Amino acid sequence: MVGPAILAEGITKDFREGQETLRILRGISLSVAPGEIVGIEGPSGSGKTTFISILGCLLGATSGQVQIAGKEVNPKRPSRLADIRRKHLGFVFQQFNLFPSLSAQENVEYALNLKGISGVAARKEAADLLDRVGLEDRKHFLPRDMSGGQKQRIAIARALCGKPDVILADEPTASLDALVADQVLTLFQKLAREDGRALLIVTHDSKVRRITDRVARIEAGMLAA
Amino acid sequence: MIDLAWKMLFHDKLRFFITLSGVAFSVTLVLVQTGLFGGLLENATITIEHMGADIWVTSRNSPNLDFVHQFSESNVERVRAVRGVRRADNLILSFMQVALPTGAEETTVVYALEDFAAWGVPWHVSAGDLADLKRGPNVIFDEFARKRFGAFEVGDYREINGQRMKIVGTTREAKSFTTTPLAFVDYQRAQQLQPDLLRGRASYILVKLEPGADRAAVMTELRRVLPHNDVYAAADWAARSRDYWVKNTGIGFNAFLTVFLGCLVGVVVVAQTLYTSTMEHLREFGTVKAIGGSNWDIYKILGKQAALSAIFGFVLGYLPARALEPVIASADLKLIIPSELSLIVLAGTVLLCLLAAVVSFRKVASIDPALVFRV
Repeated sequence: MVGPAILAEGITKDFREGQETLRILRGISLSVAPGEIVGIEGPSGSGKTTFISILGCLLGATSGQVQIAGKEVNPKRPSRLADIRRKHLGFVFQQFNLFPSLSAQENVEYALNLKGISGVAARKEAADLLDRVGLEDRKHFLPRDMSGGQKQRIAIARALCGKPDVILADEPTASLDALVADQVLTLFQKLAREDGRALLIVTHDSKVRRITDRVARIEAGMLAA
Repeated sequence: MIDLAWKMLFHDKLRFFITLSGVAFSVTLVLVQTGLFGGLLENATITIEHMGADIWVTSRNSPNLDFVHQFSESNVERVRAVRGVRRADNLILSFMQVALPTGAEETTVVYALEDFAAWGVPWHVSAGDLADLKRGPNVIFDEFARKRFGAFEVGDYREINGQRMKIVGTTREAKSFTTTPLAFVDYQRAQQLQPDLLRGRASYILVKLEPGADRAAVMTELRRVLPHNDVYAAADWAARSRDYWVKNTGIGFNAFLTVFLGCLVGVVVVAQTLYTSTMEHLREFGTVKAIGGSNWDIYKILGKQAALSAIFGFVLGYLPARALEPVIASADLKLIIPSELSLIVLAGTVLLCLLAAVVSFRKVASIDPALVFRV
């Protein structure tokens, strides 16, 4: 891939609340290169989650432009957004968001199915990904039978499905104890460096700085200097 | 492929069971009500179906088999003279009073023919000999009459319209829509039992055609020679009789209402449980979107869950409906669940469950995908 993995220019986002229009993001620009790990910090309500939702093609910006892996994001075409999510993006959430009825292996395999990979190929790739995150002996466990750290590893394995160019992680260590959080961060770092993926981590956790190349701080909807 | 729809459905077994119970209840209700209605309607025309007549000549504007008025029995001669008619006989159908040993009176529907065997009625003689009807003041009752007339055996006597008659046999399955028990009596004996009404008169003329005869042409000719009677093909006469009960009494509406309510209960239960389930799994559906799924992928999950609920619910509802057959038969009612009805109810159940899923579809379409980031 030539050029930045994430390119955001002049992003604004307004929400209507009754008669009032609230401007949550006020012209944020950010570029993340392949293999780069960037942290996004800021106080609660500063617009971090709104910003990552826009980068993740889950929310449309009011104005400004977003490119993911060189592809223009047009919020007016939902099917195109789903396509970009499927091909270029992986997500890791604070609450893991695993499917409780699916085993670790099935959670990863289902994500592969949505990306058009099925059958033996999906089974093999899911098993390989779980091996990579160190869950080779927990493949057939349901999420309820696993620890927070193990669940987050499944989520990371799922985010890696289809070899996305960008991984967006929202507070990935917030539900984990210090030791497990540290292991998860190390894993993130390893995966980003090895595969040359851009990794954007929204966090309140100062420990995350250990693995980031740089940190962008959002305050009141703007990037702080 | 990982079947998320199936896995989600079976993950919460209690909720699935509640959904299935709702569907099964509706299916049982619809099958039993429709089956009972079918049984009643079959009773309404069962004698028409078993009588080997190709054509029925009736009195003018008779609404159904039971509500009949008489006409001259000599009309049969004109029928016999029509080309293409192989055999034509008068049939008497008349309501008469039976005196019971208790001193009470009950009504019976008397069927009277010169030659029952020639017309295949009654079709199931469980005791006695039809030929005995010609050997004196004799009668054959259907076994169902025991419910209304009290116990009787072959050889016992009962008074019909004040005349002592010997019971010389019994039949099975001969019933009427009104549940009035059927009695079979020789033609001339019936006229003696009710002379004011029946002497020289008949209720119907049964017509059997020559092989290869043109039924339409024969019917046209019969209408010409009997301008004060009506002429029906057997199937049309049966349909007219059934239509009368369906359209002119509350029974059709009653059955429709019960079926409608059954369907409504099913739709509401499925819609409610699917919607609640959708709300509870909203974050999971949001995740499906986040990891590359579209609304269509989620619709497929919900649609499949609705269809699975319909199919499993149908099986769970179908089995008790079938199990009720002997119980209903013991009450001398008929529950008829033909395979066509089962297939229609199955298709209807799937369709209605999918319809119930539309409420959830609408919710999913409006999911805020960013909810996956919320704690």
